[in-house]
Amino acid sequence: MQERTAKVGAKPKSRTMTGKARAGSKSLALLDPVDYAVISQALIAVAREMGTKLIRSSYSNIVREAQDASAALFDPAGNVVAQAELIPMHLGSMSEIFRACTEVTPISELRPGDFYINNDPYGGGQHLQDVFIFTPIFHEGALVAFAGTVAHHLDLGGGNPGMTPDAVDVHAEGIIIPPSRYVYERDWNGGTLERLIAANVRVPSQTIGDFYAQFAANAIGTARMIELCARYGTATVSAAMTELMAYSERRFRAALSAIPDGTWHGEDAVDDDGIGDTPLTVKAAVTKKGDTVSVDFSGTVPQVGRNLNCPWASTVSATLAAIKGALTSPDIPFNEGFKRPITVTAPKGTLVNPNYPAPVRARLLPAYRCFNATLKALAQVVPDKVTAGGNDSTHALAISHLGERGYRVYLEIYGGGFGGGPRLDGCDAVDSPLSNCTNTPVEATDMDFDHFRIVGYGLLPDTGGAGRQRGGLGFYRRFLILKDGTNFATYTDRMRLSPYGLLGGADGSRTRIEIERDGKIIRSRSKDRLDLKTGDVLTLYTSGGGGYGAAEARDPRLIARDVAQGYVTAESAQRDYGWTDKT
Amino acid sequence: MRVGIEVGGTFTDLVAIGPDGIVVTKVPSVPKAPDEGAFNALVASGIPIGSIDDLAHGSTVATNAVLERKGFPTAFVTTKGFRDILALQRHGRAQIYDLEYQKPVPVVTRAGSFEVAERMLADGTVLDALDEGDVVARLVPALREGRFEAIAICLLNAYVNPAHERRLAELLSAALPDVHVTISSDITREFREFERASTTTLSAYVQPVIDRYIARFRDRLSSAGFQGRFSVMQSNGGRLPAEAMRANAINALLSGPAAGVMGAVRQTGRSGYQNLVTLDIGGTSTDVCVVTGGSPQLTQEFSLDGLPIRIPLLDINTIGAGGGSIIWVDDGGMLRVGPHSAGADPGPACYGRGGSLPTLTDAHVIRGTVRPEAFLGGRMQIDAVASARALQPIADRFGMSLEAAADSAVALANANIVRAIQLISTERGHDPRDYVLVPYGGAGPLHAAQVAGELGIATIVVPPSAGIISAYGLIASDFVLFESLTRRAPADASAADTLRDVFATMRERALARAEEAGLGKKVELKLTAEMRFVGQAFEVPVTFEEREIRRMTADGVRKRFADAHHRVFFFGGEADKPIEFVSFRLGLAAPLKELPLLAETATQTKTEAAIRLHDDKQWHEGRLRSRASMKQRDRVRGPALLEDPTSTLYVPPGWIARRDANDNTVLERA
Repeated sequence: MQERTAKVGAKPKSRTMTGKARAGSKSLALLDPVDYAVISQALIAVAREMGTKLIRSSYSNIVREAQDASAALFDPAGNVVAQAELIPMHLGSMSEIFRACTEVTPISELRPGDFYINNDPYGGGQHLQDVFIFTPIFHEGALVAFAGTVAHHLDLGGGNPGMTPDAVDVHAEGIIIPPSRYVYERDWNGGTLERLIAANVRVPSQTIGDFYAQFAANAIGTARMIELCARYGTATVSAAMTELMAYSERRFRAALSAIPDGTWHGEDAVDDDGIGDTPLTVKAAVTKKGDTVSVDFSGTVPQVGRNLNCPWASTVSATLAAIKGALTSPDIPFNEGFKRPITVTAPKGTLVNPNYPAPVRARLLPAYRCFNATLKALAQVVPDKVTAGGNDSTHALAISHLGERGYRVYLEIYGGGFGGGPRLDGCDAVDSPLSNCTNTPVEATDMDFDHFRIVGYGLLPDTGGAGRQRGGLGFYRRFLILKDGTNFATYTDRMRLSPYGLLGGADGSRTRIEIERDGKIIRSRSKDRLDLKTGDVLTLYTSGGGGYGAAEARDPRLIARDVAQGYVTAESAQRDYGWTDKT
Repeated sequence: MRVGIEVGGTFTDLVAIGPDGIVVTKVPSVPKAPDEGAFNALVASGIPIGSIDDLAHGSTVATNAVLERKGFPTAFVTTKGFRDILALQRHGRAQIYDLEYQKPVPVVTRAGSFEVAERMLADGTVLDALDEGDVVARLVPALREGRFEAIAICLLNAYVNPAHERRLAELLSAALPDVHVTISSDITREFREFERASTTTLSAYVQPVIDRYIARFRDRLSSAGFQGRFSVMQSNGGRLPAEAMRANAINALLSGPAAGVMGAVRQTGRSGYQNLVTLDIGGTSTDVCVVTGGSPQLTQEFSLDGLPIRIPLLDINTIGAGGGSIIWVDDGGMLRVGPHSAGADPGPACYGRGGSLPTLTDAHVIRGTVRPEAFLGGRMQIDAVASARALQPIADRFGMSLEAAADSAVALANANIVRAIQLISTERGHDPRDYVLVPYGGAGPLHAAQVAGELGIATIVVPPSAGIISAYGLIASDFVLFESLTRRAPADASAADTLRDVFATMRERALARAEEAGLGKKVELKLTAEMRFVGQAFEVPVTFEEREIRRMTADGVRKRFADAHHRVFFFGGEADKPIEFVSFRLGLAAPLKELPLLAETATQTKTEAAIRLHDDKQWHEGRLRSRASMKQRDRVRGPALLEDPTSTLYVPPGWIARRDANDNTVLERA
């Protein structure tokens, strides 16, 4: 087995690090503290504006309502300087995905009007639906930065609308856009690339509209960066970009130094591969030494035949999100500097670093187990910074129908309860930590789709694991199917293995999907595709989070509140906490 | 006599304008009983209550009721299957890496949320009729048992067809006559059930609060002999007769900053300024707003304490930068100002009330841009030595002089303010260079020149008595109400006809409401269409004046949308793609017959002296003047401080100040 190691802080270690140090000291001499603070905040504002406008001007419900998109600014070498805090999964590895493009067309060959594009899981990307577009920004003839955006596209072809659960390889999952350089005016904007993609997707009006929103967001980032350079001078802006990364790095290294050295192990598993019933175990060894931390996924199961393989970029993102969430204060900006003290290693051919052409559509599920395994290891050294296991899965549901007016694809992803934490109960019914999608309003689905109707959406009492801090509640969402020939595809997890409790807390509840047909209940597998009929009632029940700490230690006032508000039933409160209704 | 009384967090301001001149009064607020502070201001002003014809009031009663969860027990009723709308919210997180993330807390609990069997469809047809028997048999007893004082009703798709909401409200009001019932279709006619439910519950929650506050205020006025018109400020920048407000409580939320914007609009409008960026810097926060063509920008996307509010209100961006903002260095070595504030107590180090952390006010004291003897008109003792002691460690940390550190802190606060302005100007497609900056509030005029410089704004217009402009805004505002309507329709060849048709319908409704509220016959109407390319989910507002609507063509409508879209999003300038209308709102304004005129008050002292102040890395010799002493022909070159009893205007080197015919002070580049 070939090892793959990423020094995720960008470049080969030795020479680059000394080079950066020189640039850093020069940049500090050039920068006064006000200019630095002003420009760094402006860079973050530019990224945020790009993200907001991408979402607001997009077309598909997955981008415009669920907000499955992200944006970032990069320095001229492709290091992430500032990002719109949207989807952690997208953000952690944007520079890795960028770098794959530079290997095909070096940065030095880029001209104004060019762009890089990449969705190739085996060319640095994540899964095909996430298409990354990077636009170089030139000012006074010099490259000053890159604007980058990513959106989850509703449908990029493949064997089945929205997703293909039984794809045997990545080719069955949709169109691959390898890392490449194109010219906007020539190849997009009615050009050959636009036409090629439009011809390979099922709902081109929405998908192409979303691409335009990505290009426009990059154009906004370009305009704002040029304004900044014109105002402060390119050299000062560059120095501020360098210093902003150094700033995150400094703060993170200081936080790391406060933790004892050592190596800790954690593991968690995906339920199964969608065919058999063997759990797919992910193992993490986290080593903290001085002001660095490394995570090694050796011992993780080999890659599988279905879409549960986690491409390298996704493994990196998930691991970084766990470390960021547990070990840094939230106001340390995420950028390349934060990544420099971190090393991630995974053997080739495993679930978390698969070989071509393994299918990868549901890569978020193994990515969550990388996240959980890392947190479980950290729980042994910093239990006051880590939460219990939560729903920690992306439950993706695609309900589609081919009618006279073409394809109607409804694709939505759902979270559940967060694990209980050292201080607070887990958050109820919220998207899971690696993602950050919003729900589609019921009134929007009523307006846009006539092959199903949502007839129920609510919290699930008793689904959070008992503990000193209770796990967050899962929820249900219920669909009445209105047309024969409706196509249902899904990937979910935590159907077999519950979200784990921590430090004596109880496990959370498991996920399930039920279809009620003619008075009988049909259970969907966690990864499945089914044909639905008029009158079927499909319900998704998502997982509640695990509890944190022993139930006996829970504040009785919180137990009473939970019962009064119906988060916990009286029977469960009695069983789990020994609660009695004294009134 | 017209009197405006604005209750703020720290001070209650009063402006009275009548035939005998202008009275300006500032008294401490009484946070537990805002009306107490208001009456204290009336007493202090010496104005006989019987002589007041027009009393306009603004307070933070509604906003504070939400922030402190001090409203009355409120129930929420929705369509069967969807009781948890308020708890589920939108499923996303505001902080993406926070493992212990918590959602905003709704004002109605889960135990206070109920369901009723019914279902309306998106096209307004009834799928399941309202189960009236169930309402009577089950819902009414449950509501009665919960002892709720307000009920918010939000049923699915009621924005298209409110029949079920109206019938349910009738049934509940009949059974529970003492309970306020609010229905979503009366509050906002927009799709997205969570946002509409949130708006409706907030409205229901503050309804009894506002109702009781206004009743108490009016009783007290009446018993003191008041016989004039009593009106209250709304967040949309207009006022409403107090009685009408008792049924529109949601509009009282966030009304405080709106009064200031309207004061700035009216006072600078007298000198012909129509495009303004307003800048209100107070003790703990800064509010900025963009005004184009004399109309403040409105937004329908607002949240209070994380809870969405979907009604048209002034698009005011608030950030935590004010005189009390703390200057600090974070653990990565970055200089920061705010958002934490020393507040009024202990306050800045220079207040000598035990605050040891340096604040923005301390930085001004060190620079000499705030004179200790003139702070708040000399009513407050200022300890300049304490300011220096507090800031010294930060100066040492960066190897700077104390004054340079103070300059840096001010510059950084200004940078935060600049970004707040860019968010509502540049990001909305407006170039700040086409605007004048209008600073007010205690500290707005101190920061204006540097903020203008950063934004490329050439002209600054400072109203007289800039520290109390909000109170003036109350009596200078029109009476305003809004109608909203969701109607999805293609903006094709029939676009102009649709516009006219919608306008006619909404006009009729608005006029009826105006009559009911006693706003008079003379009104101005403006129609805003929320439009988008077919397939998008968010709309771009496009506004049409009443006089344009008659002769608008379909192409004209489409082009105006496409241009607006391109300004904001940098694409979509082509009007040939399918476009649709999504919703409309009609603004109705009953303009004042006569604008009360603000002027410099004659009571100001006529100070003039030489001063030293520090800016841009050096000390400068400058002049101190009182604004009242300036004549129209005078030109004051910076560096200078121009004081009035409510605020200090800083004129930096390179700027010249003059007083115009309406007593605005105008700053321009030398």
